[in-house]
Amino acid sequence: MTLPPTARRLAARRGIQAGLALCLGATLAACAGSADPEESADGGGDAQTVSFRSWSPIEQTTRQMIDSFTESNPDVSIDATIFNYPEYVVDLQTRASSGTMPDIVGLQPGALTQQYREKLMPLEQCAADTWGDDWESKFHPVGLEQARMGNPDGDEHYYALPLLVQTVNLWANSELLDAAGVEPPATWDDLTAAVATLGDAGDAAPFLLPAKDAWLRNVVFLQIANNLEPGRVYQAEDGEVPWTDARIVEAFDYWSRLFTEGIAQDGALALDSYPNGVNQFEAGNAAMIPLGAWWIQQSDPSKTEIAPLSEGMSGYEPFLFPTLPGGAAEPQLVGGIDVALGISADAANPDLACEVLTDWIAGDGGQVLINTFNDLPAVTGLDPEEFTSDKQEQIWNQLTQDWMPNVQWSRYFESPEIDTAVADALAGVAAGQLTPQQAAESVQAVQDQQG
Amino acid sequence: MTAYPPPAPATRNTRVAGTGRRGPARRLTRERLVALGFIAPAVVLFAVFVVYPIVFNVQSSLLDWDGVSAGTPVGLDNYRDLFSDPTFHTTLRNSAFWIVLTIVPQAALGFALAWLLNTRLRGRTVYRTLFFLPAVLSPVVVGIVWQRLLDPFNGVLAQLGRATGIDLLTRSYLSDPSTAIFAVIVVNVWMWTGFSMLFYLAGLQLVDHSVVEAARIDGATGWQLLRRIVLPLLKPTHLALLLLGIIGSLKTFELVWVLTEGGPNHASELMPTYLFKQAFQLQSFGYGATIAVVLLVVAVGSSLAMLRTFGSGFITGDRS
Repeated sequence: MTLPPTARRLAARRGIQAGLALCLGATLAACAGSADPEESADGGGDAQTVSFRSWSPIEQTTRQMIDSFTESNPDVSIDATIFNYPEYVVDLQTRASSGTMPDIVGLQPGALTQQYREKLMPLEQCAADTWGDDWESKFHPVGLEQARMGNPDGDEHYYALPLLVQTVNLWANSELLDAAGVEPPATWDDLTAAVATLGDAGDAAPFLLPAKDAWLRNVVFLQIANNLEPGRVYQAEDGEVPWTDARIVEAFDYWSRLFTEGIAQDGALALDSYPNGVNQFEAGNAAMIPLGAWWIQQSDPSKTEIAPLSEGMSGYEPFLFPTLPGGAAEPQLVGGIDVALGISADAANPDLACEVLTDWIAGDGGQVLINTFNDLPAVTGLDPEEFTSDKQEQIWNQLTQDWMPNVQWSRYFESPEIDTAVADALAGVAAGQLTPQQAAESVQAVQDQQG
Repeated sequence: MTAYPPPAPATRNTRVAGTGRRGPARRLTRERLVALGFIAPAVVLFAVFVVYPIVFNVQSSLLDWDGVSAGTPVGLDNYRDLFSDPTFHTTLRNSAFWIVLTIVPQAALGFALAWLLNTRLRGRTVYRTLFFLPAVLSPVVVGIVWQRLLDPFNGVLAQLGRATGIDLLTRSYLSDPSTAIFAVIVVNVWMWTGFSMLFYLAGLQLVDHSVVEAARIDGATGWQLLRRIVLPLLKPTHLALLLLGIIGSLKTFELVWVLTEGGPNHASELMPTYLFKQAFQLQSFGYGATIAVVLLVVAVGSSLAMLRTFGSGFITGDRS
């Protein structure tokens, strides 16, 4: 088609104008690069749709929870996306700063919740409306305590409520231990003796330590440190005692001895927990491994394939990190929130979001979640409707009734800087680059830098 | 009688010269604007997807910002902190190792494979496919597989080492701070050598056979042929691989993340992994943006240095 000259000129002029306008717009947008994040407020979505983003629970379980809710609320739709954790934090940060935050978000206590605190709504009213004024009594105390971890002084709001909680502990392959005539070690001496016996008994790693993961290094260290001097590391984080306190240095020393005394397998610093460490453990290539209560999810009856050891938890036994000479008489329980849920302050329908959140925590959705043994429920008295073996039920009861209500020590540090500094120091010690004293000093240096 | 056409009317020349109804300045301006209209979409895309992120990053690098709440301007403090940060020094050292120890071996091995597979070797298509295969795999998959292979406790190499008594295979390369970066580099070379091979295969097939034949007739030995004829003729390929290698080295993330997460104790940290940790794990988005800006400067600087040294036509072989 050929346009007459006038039309061509007009079209060209309009094209130029549009192009220049777009260029100008883009330039202005670029100039507004650090646009005030405060103005990013657009909950989006229609009133009967709730958006949910998280890294946990897993996709399949989340789908079941959604189906459970929408079955009784057919006019509601839930748009959910489950990511791997590293991708999730990128997605959440991007959405929060661009005003497209989901209605319900998965959160970890401490730094992650605090980062988004200004964009989250307080949940006490939602909880009280659903469960009554004494709603806090439904939850494990450590979960509620951690939900407010890092709140500014005087701010008693809950910006997240725990969905799942956990202990961090050790797991034994009971078949390998029985075959070697070894009991789950209760003391440090028992541990070294068990490692020696198991090492002679076969090719399996006596103590598989997937120390590549910073989180795993930290939770093992927290179990050691609390067994040695309960609560001292948190005092150090609060600045009440220095990180170079003799007991903390000693805790670094015990961590070091896991490597120098051959307790951990060769190359522990290169082994990640997921997928490689757990695959080895589930395949029967390791006698003991530090993980947490969530390991019971391996026996989820809705899984299409369950490894023989995981069938009804037949091959496993949980135990706590051994006591240490001169330390606490009993092993200390360390744990906390696995995943908490928060509601965006800009949610299109906060009441509906509250309904979904409370249903997933302690309603029908929560029951569906717990039926998969994904982790321990944040509320008391919520148990799977069906157990596949007596051992599975016995372990579940041990975790939920004996351990979880008595967890006193957090598996998290409040500050991400300290969390990273401790993880780096532990890697340095494990690699032989730092002495325990130097490791403690390196954490203290980061703390000093934080002021 | 003349066979030449009559001279063109003066008015036509005049029009061309721009002294007609429409003035020259106006006409040129309109032509320019039309041209601008045509390139505007490309300019817009460039502005939105290249310029805007760069400006955003530079602005962010001047803030103490967690990426969500309102940032606090800190001037150049992030840059000052970065240049005195020992982990950042480690990332620079590791980047230097990475550039040298991936580009050179990849090119050498890639050329050797291409040279062999450019002959009438039986089954060469299958070999070409096999050698190129790692380059199309996801770095995450490659990382997980190599982590299993290199696991000194239960890995394939360690078991082989124990069975054969070769201690070298049983060492924990990924967990030793002095070897971790080199172990990752070896995996990277394994992964990308096929890519270099493909480039060299294409280059070898473009080499003028008459030049090679002439050299042979002149009595050039195999080594002389390679050194004096083929390798110089492949200069555009070498330089293209060099440029892609430098930029690729500076961008590497997934393989390092899966194999070592930059550890142990930052021993195999590269700028992208450190940037990710700072921006998204430590919630220091401003500091992460500072690393991104430095990374950008290094990448653009090295690319410009190559362009200046070898000329803009070095990839295409255009001598101008």
